[in-house]
Amino acid sequence: MSEIVVDVWLYGGLSKYGRGAEQGSFANLEARLRGGSTIGDLLAHLQMPSRERGITFINSQLSAMPGLQPDMDHILSDGDRAAFFHLNSMWPFQYRLGAAMIRELAEAMQAGKDEGLHHSYGEHESTTE
Amino acid sequence: MWLIRVNMTDLTSSVGPLPDAYQHLGGRGMTSTIVAKEVPPLCHPLGPNNKLVFAPGIVTGTPAPTSARVSAGAKSPLTGGIKESNGGSSWAADLADMQVRALVVEGQAKKNGKFWGLHLLWDAAASQPKVEFFDASEHAGKDLFEVFPKVYAKFGDKISISGCGVSGEYGYGNAGIVYNDPAKGPTRYSGRGGLGSVMGSKGLKLIVLSREGTPGVPITDEALFDQGRKKMIDALRTHDITKPKGALNTYGTAVLINIMNEAGGLPTRNFSSGRFEGAAKTAGEAIFEGNKQRLGKELYNHACSPGCIIQCSNTWHNPDGTEAASCVEYESDWALGANCGIDSLDDIATMVKLCNGYGLDTIETGATIGVIMEAGVIPFGDSQGAINLIHEMGKGTPLGRILGGGTGFAGKAYGMTRVPAVKGQGMPAYEPRAVKGIGITYATSTMGADHTAGYTIAPEILGVSGKQDPLTPEGKAALSRGFQAATAFIDTSGHCLFIAFAVLDIASGMEGMVEECNGVLGTQWTTADIGRVGAEVLKAERAFNEAAGLGKETDRIPEFMRTEPLPPHNQVFDVSDEALDSVYAEL
Ligand code: SF4
Repeated sequence: MSEIVVDVWLYGGLSKYGRGAEQGSFANLEARLRGGSTIGDLLAHLQMPSRERGITFINSQLSAMPGLQPDMDHILSDGDRAAFFHLNSMWPFQYRLGAAMIRELAEAMQAGKDEGLHHSYGEHESTTE
Repeated sequence: MWLIRVNMTDLTSSVGPLPDAYQHLGGRGMTSTIVAKEVPPLCHPLGPNNKLVFAPGIVTGTPAPTSARVSAGAKSPLTGGIKESNGGSSWAADLADMQVRALVVEGQAKKNGKFWGLHLLWDAAASQPKVEFFDASEHAGKDLFEVFPKVYAKFGDKISISGCGVSGEYGYGNAGIVYNDPAKGPTRYSGRGGLGSVMGSKGLKLIVLSREGTPGVPITDEALFDQGRKKMIDALRTHDITKPKGALNTYGTAVLINIMNEAGGLPTRNFSSGRFEGAAKTAGEAIFEGNKQRLGKELYNHACSPGCIIQCSNTWHNPDGTEAASCVEYESDWALGANCGIDSLDDIATMVKLCNGYGLDTIETGATIGVIMEAGVIPFGDSQGAINLIHEMGKGTPLGRILGGGTGFAGKAYGMTRVPAVKGQGMPAYEPRAVKGIGITYATSTMGADHTAGYTIAPEILGVSGKQDPLTPEGKAALSRGFQAATAFIDTSGHCLFIAFAVLDIASGMEGMVEECNGVLGTQWTTADIGRVGAEVLKAERAFNEAAGLGKETDRIPEFMRTEPLPPHNQVFDVSDEALDSVYAEL
């Protein structure tokens, strides 16, 4: 199968997976993958554990939120842009109501509690003792 | 509890008990109710018949976390409609601790180049607040960074300050009302809608509050209040967005720059694209990393006001480690950055500081400069040119006055068609063509284009759960209606809107907010009352706007957003007028 090139953006602390492409608070690199590769394959290529990523975009379409990652099997195409955010980012609901999402995430939101009407989807762990 | 009226025409004041009808109001609920009742909707906003009202929220001044907020309200010189603009400062808590639930400034002083100050203090003998006038003319025409230290020097350390900058003296549509920050600087604002000019038009420059001897806010049911407060604290300390070292405390609101950019919804170069190639250099992550490099250690954010446990306010530092500007909020960062094609945090910070010194609303200022750049006055990306334009505003030159009139006014002056404003108010940092839900709120809010008009809370409280598909325009309109009502309630409670991030996902936090209010007021509200109380506020605001000539025909997104597809999604704003009209028709 032919090779694809994905334009990868890693923000905040995730820039450490940028293989030398770090620019302080972010990293931008090209990942060369086998045709038919998925987000899961890209994460493996970057050696980035999926639990470390939060909000994720594929070509400006939201594909994952913290605690909700239905995009692992999403197949990437040549020239795609994939952006991964650290867990200290946020995108409150009112500022993404009506924004573009990949089909897998839209379905997961619909099926989830309150049709996805939340700011974040993980467990909220107390940092106070 | 007291209601203070100050008449600037004859320089008199009266301190009276809070009327029964106002007992359960606070914050925005109070300011909007008084403005709607007492201000003639067709009056000139800068004339003697407008009134400027300040009200702390219901729980402001109590130990409820993240609640030192004040609402300022009047008829807006920017929109011509009702305006409430919220700010966080010790000024809010001090007004509440004086047991003042509303301060109403009326009339208009004879100018003769003179400006007045008000000094509110607690009269222990009479057990009530009292008002003194002082001549503040020496502070007219001065940078607020010069004014504030002089006011502290005169009145001592145990005070809080609000005021207007030179922009408010000139009568600009983009003049805010300033409050002191914890470091005694002039950086906290009720920024939007030109309320600084309403203050200036009255001949009023400063309002100084002395906290010495003030009795504090009485609490009707201490146990209930405490129970609510604990629930709220627990929610804020637990949620990913609001907890210590969480999203807001680490990166501040500017964490949204990279997110909106990746979403294709970061308005760039006067709303001509949804993606800015320089975004990452100006984002919250870059502020955190840049500060770390310049200070040699990690710096987490601070509280804008006493008692905030979210602590989202950042500070950008110069290469030598001195303070460059506080606070570089997402909207300021965007307005003066991506929207102007500027990618230097140092230049953005310089502009934020200039706005703070001149008393300008950063959002309106940046939105206006974006339009003027497109008009060719200076090129996109020219940060020195943009800095010069802000100085023009501060100096009150003819060009500065055109820009100070706001986004819509400057757009007209230069014959522009791509003017991002609703009801004359410049649009903040979320592109309606990429995020259609926020577009509905921008279009229909009583405030003009306002990103703080519709915060999300739980669907069962909004009354929309399972009723409508949120993916349809009608479903989004129903959500926007619920969000706007919930927001009006939070603005009434005195909590900072950012508590909404936590209480949406943690239901006990929502109960906590209502219990805190019940504890203070002795009411028996339940979470089911949130929508009702909020809707009453919105109805009063809406009625004022309609009487002022801002009917549903003005609930519209600028035409260019319906015709020009926005890259990278290449979408237009396609929510029908019927869906927009349903937001208030069904309130
Ligand atoms: S969350 Fe931020 S804006 Fe709100 S009160 Fe706290 S520091 Fe101020």
